[in-house]
Amino acid sequence: MKRFNILSVCGSGTVTSSMVAEKVKESMEERGLQVKTTEAKPTEALNYAQSGSYDLIVHTSPLPAADYGIPTISAVGCLTGIGEEEFYDEVEQTLRSLAK
Amino acid sequence: MLQEFFIPKLTAASNEEVIGILGQKLLNAGYVAATFIDAVLQRERTLPTGLQTGAVNVAIPHTDATHVVKSTIALATLAQPVNFRLMVDPATEIGVQLVFLLAVRDPREQVELLKKLTAIFQDEALLRQMLETADSQGIYQLMSAALAVKNG
Repeated sequence: MKRFNILSVCGSGTVTSSMVAEKVKESMEERGLQVKTTEAKPTEALNYAQSGSYDLIVHTSPLPAADYGIPTISAVGCLTGIGEEEFYDEVEQTLRSLAK
Repeated sequence: MLQEFFIPKLTAASNEEVIGILGQKLLNAGYVAATFIDAVLQRERTLPTGLQTGAVNVAIPHTDATHVVKSTIALATLAQPVNFRLMVDPATEIGVQLVFLLAVRDPREQVELLKKLTAIFQDEALLRQMLETADSQGIYQLMSAALAVKNG
């Protein structure tokens, strides 16, 4: 089965992105998708995205305007609970559409 | 996590003041380096940490691990909200009544704790209870219980 690589971006590239990464990993596993996550700062996101190794970016801080070439989804619902399920739905749909 | 890190019904004029007061507690207890408070303040300016949770807005100021000696959490509940800018939209300010100052040495080791923290942000009844609690021992106990609960 395909294993998806998700880039989790937050301001410091550590604390918040680790929270989000863990929750995304767990929720996608529950939905039958295997996910590997990498944490990064907003300023590092473009380099990672252009490496071609990542399927999707989830972020809690705004991403600098750029052409990332892969889908980007705001993950703040993971922290606040507002729109959290909708966020997981969107991540799942995005990954499943990539697998086709 | 020490009881003295929990300050109920604090009166402060700005988020900088709250971060300074909480940070000083961590510094006095040896949990953070002398550079910690300035690093948190600077980060808050460029990458703010306000979160709109619905009923009771929170903020989670923090900074890089290099300024942290030992991982812990400090919390101030505010008598009157202070403004923080939103993490997702730094141009927008929100009034925050619960400020969780995070000192994180190694996020990978703290994943469980961080996850439980997000569960706290989503528990409106608990957030309201924290706001109403008038003594630091009471808030410390609420936090300890919430962070210890399995699967948040």
